[in-house]
Amino acid sequence: MKKKQFFLVRWFKRAFMGAGHETKNLTEEQMQTPMRTIMRNFREKKSAMFGLITFLLILVFVLVGPYFWEIDLSESESTLTNLAPSQSMLKLPSALKGKVADIGCGRTFGVGIDTDGHVYTWGNTRITDKIDISNIPDEVQNADIVHLAVGDDHAVALDVDGNLYVWGNTRLQQDKFSSDMTKAMKKGENWDIVQLEASNQFSGALSSEGTLYLWGNTNNADIKVKKEYQGNIAKFSLTGSECMALLKDGTVVYAGSKGSKNPLGRIPAALEGKKVVDIATTSKTVAAVTEDGEIVVWGNVLKGEDQIPEMSSHPVKIYGGRNHYTAMLEDGTVLSWGDDSFGQASVPAKVEKAEIKDIYVGYMQNYAVTTSGDTYAWGLKGFVLGTDDLGRDMLTRIINGGRVTMLVGAISVIIATIIGVVTGGLAGYFGGNVDILIMRIAEIVGGLPFIPFAMILSAVIGSKLQPTQRMYLIMVVLGVLSWTGTCRLVRAQILAQREMEYVTAAKAMGIREVKIVFKHILPNVISLLLVSMTLDFATCMLTESTLSYLGFGIPLPTPTWGNLLTGANNSIVIQQYWWRWVFPAAIFGLCTVCINLMGDGLRDAVDPKSNER
Amino acid sequence: MGKYILKRLGYIVVVFIIVSLLMYALYNLIPSDPARAQLEPQRKSMKPAEYEAMYNRLRESMGLNAPLIVRYARWLGIYPDINGEFNGMFEGNFGYSQFFSQDVVQVIKSPMKNTIFINIFSTIAALAITIPLGIYCAVHKGKKFDATVGVVTILGYSIPIYIIALIFIYVFCVLLRVFPVSGTKTPGMEYANSWQEFVDMLYHIALPVIVMTFGSLGGMTRYVRSSMIDALSMDYIRTARAKGVKEKVVIYSHAWRNALLPVITSIIGWFLSIFSGSVVIENTFSLNGMGKLYWQGLNNLDFELVLAIQMFYTVVSLLGSLLIDISYGLVDPRVRVNK
Repeated sequence: MKKKQFFLVRWFKRAFMGAGHETKNLTEEQMQTPMRTIMRNFREKKSAMFGLITFLLILVFVLVGPYFWEIDLSESESTLTNLAPSQSMLKLPSALKGKVADIGCGRTFGVGIDTDGHVYTWGNTRITDKIDISNIPDEVQNADIVHLAVGDDHAVALDVDGNLYVWGNTRLQQDKFSSDMTKAMKKGENWDIVQLEASNQFSGALSSEGTLYLWGNTNNADIKVKKEYQGNIAKFSLTGSECMALLKDGTVVYAGSKGSKNPLGRIPAALEGKKVVDIATTSKTVAAVTEDGEIVVWGNVLKGEDQIPEMSSHPVKIYGGRNHYTAMLEDGTVLSWGDDSFGQASVPAKVEKAEIKDIYVGYMQNYAVTTSGDTYAWGLKGFVLGTDDLGRDMLTRIINGGRVTMLVGAISVIIATIIGVVTGGLAGYFGGNVDILIMRIAEIVGGLPFIPFAMILSAVIGSKLQPTQRMYLIMVVLGVLSWTGTCRLVRAQILAQREMEYVTAAKAMGIREVKIVFKHILPNVISLLLVSMTLDFATCMLTESTLSYLGFGIPLPTPTWGNLLTGANNSIVIQQYWWRWVFPAAIFGLCTVCINLMGDGLRDAVDPKSNER
Repeated sequence: MGKYILKRLGYIVVVFIIVSLLMYALYNLIPSDPARAQLEPQRKSMKPAEYEAMYNRLRESMGLNAPLIVRYARWLGIYPDINGEFNGMFEGNFGYSQFFSQDVVQVIKSPMKNTIFINIFSTIAALAITIPLGIYCAVHKGKKFDATVGVVTILGYSIPIYIIALIFIYVFCVLLRVFPVSGTKTPGMEYANSWQEFVDMLYHIALPVIVMTFGSLGGMTRYVRSSMIDALSMDYIRTARAKGVKEKVVIYSHAWRNALLPVITSIIGWFLSIFSGSVVIENTFSLNGMGKLYWQGLNNLDFELVLAIQMFYTVVSLLGSLLIDISYGLVDPRVRVNK
């Protein structure tokens, strides 16, 4: 008679209770309480156990997950939108290892040249469906490249003969050189390029004579260099749309023509009279290192760029990413600070031990090359499940969305069950007019077209509410609209139970009727109630997600499994950004299927008659 | 039978009044003031006192000062307006859509045609598939085919319909390129005759209908199967078999007639859910239907339109339940006698 138990249960039992437990059960069929029979029946059903275990795993995942993948609702990062799932953004190609000559750090990719002048790319190089940084033009492939810089969506390279190449997105004049540049290039005067930089749609090159050339999208960036600085510039650095320069006499200036209106143009007083040895920029701030080892940061500081850690010795070089700085000290240690959301400001321990020769920093990436030629990288590795249209990590949103969806589902089921049990209990026990009235109300509520009605309730009442209050509203709406099934179930059960002997006995003892219903009869129907709650839980989650999908449930930016799919119903997203709908759909589908499997199994276990079905 | 239908009709009228009153009261929760909206352009050219007086007059003439129940009766068209005329829903006046700047009746016409067309199509398709499938599974209970169908039906009713729609769009529109992604007609197409137009529309709504049918397969197949299993386990089936009645007759005549009763009941809920579900489908495929219109109306706070469509949904569900009641009476003689 006795079937084999599920293997995990079997192992568990053998491990903790010994094998004797099994044989005892085999030798005599024990008398069991109904609950234990149910449990046994349930365990014997493979599909139900699969559902239970998978559901529990998902539940733990979405309950514990938010502590590890914390969500920032205001988060959006324009440089990280619609990224495909990958983990290879910091992975240098093996051919480049050991012979790195220069690395350009892009927002989600890297471009590098080896000592022979060959160009390599890695990471997520796709800019749009047509443009890909890894499509390196032939003339770049054939040329002997010595310098390299990478911007948001384009790459710039310089070969030994002084030819400049631009590839990637060139639709916004990223490759349109200014007239003095082309002149200099032709004549070869003032064209001994020592520094090459690129940023958001514009780029810059500095000659050894101190002349700075800026070119690119003029609408986006302030690229008109003030004449008085030309010929005098020792180093420059590009922010998101400005250019800062370090002059040969050790002062820092705003190189563009609109400096008076720009916060970056107000050089702090702390730098006055001091000689600056190095500068670096993030997308919105500037940092300068003075001769006596002090670092001064100014500009639009939002992500802790000015939280400079304690240093063991004087900094000699400083590099800027998108929202963080990395500095190399005199004694060879490397320090990072600023935004650390992708680990770009957490220098790995290996780097501290190694002897670092060069550091390349850009966007969220850091590469350190040791004197022996090894490369260490830290920063944004990639997104396991990709990112959405605002550059938010899908994994974080799926985990946090799951928590919201499950919470809403659970609370609305509890509300529906409470209403259903009370009304069903009253209707079933008292019968007569109470019964007729309650059942008519149930019929009306059950007859309302569910989704349109929930939509109008959410739209009418929810328009005045805060997002959190709106979440509670959805719970209540779902609960209030879906109690009729439970009510009918409880009523039918009570009609059957009240004819039983134990109710007669209780009545004979003079127990109050309400007490009989809720204290004597209800425990006897609790198992069936559990089944209906399980199945209702899946239904409530489905309804919540449908409402959210239509835009009348939980409002964005709070994620739920429904509103993650809101923007997904067009063919571009479906085809090109498949990760934006496949992952939420998959985990949600799996979750509801598991809950339903569990509920079905439980019903089969509770109701012996349905065992035969 | 006549008395039974009358009784149900009376019940439906009561429910209609309750639901519509509920909806109307809900609609009145929205802070909107048509009188102020109408006067707003002239506001600056008038003195405050004059404006106030005019505003109050307009409110009175628009009937905004009347109690809720009177306004409700006027809206239904069972109580005369200020000017003594009946002008409400029963007279065919469903209100004015602010968003479309048109009478609601005009706005609703063609979407309603589309929605009803799609729903009837997928209802017929779903019933034609689920009933034979359910019966077959019940008769061959426990076999491999039954187990497979069991798994598929659980998938069918667990996965939300918009995810099914996304998967179908991916397979049929993106990978295979058989169907168009959205819309009800080929853009810029001139039709030679109405038959061509009809075929083009069929081509466009094919995928939504397939998705809707697929989405409702799961639940219905399970209902048919379980009620058929119940019917097959009855004593009269054993008797019939013992008498030597042919298996076909046993299944389709003895068992199916009895299994039909619970199936019909479950169709009520399912019929409603199909109309609710079409809100999702029409939005996903951007079909010009009632659901899409309802969504637009709610998003643009065009509540007269929303209210009219809501009434449509209510009437559909009530008519559906009346239809079920009547067919219930036809199938089961006991219903006619007892009630």
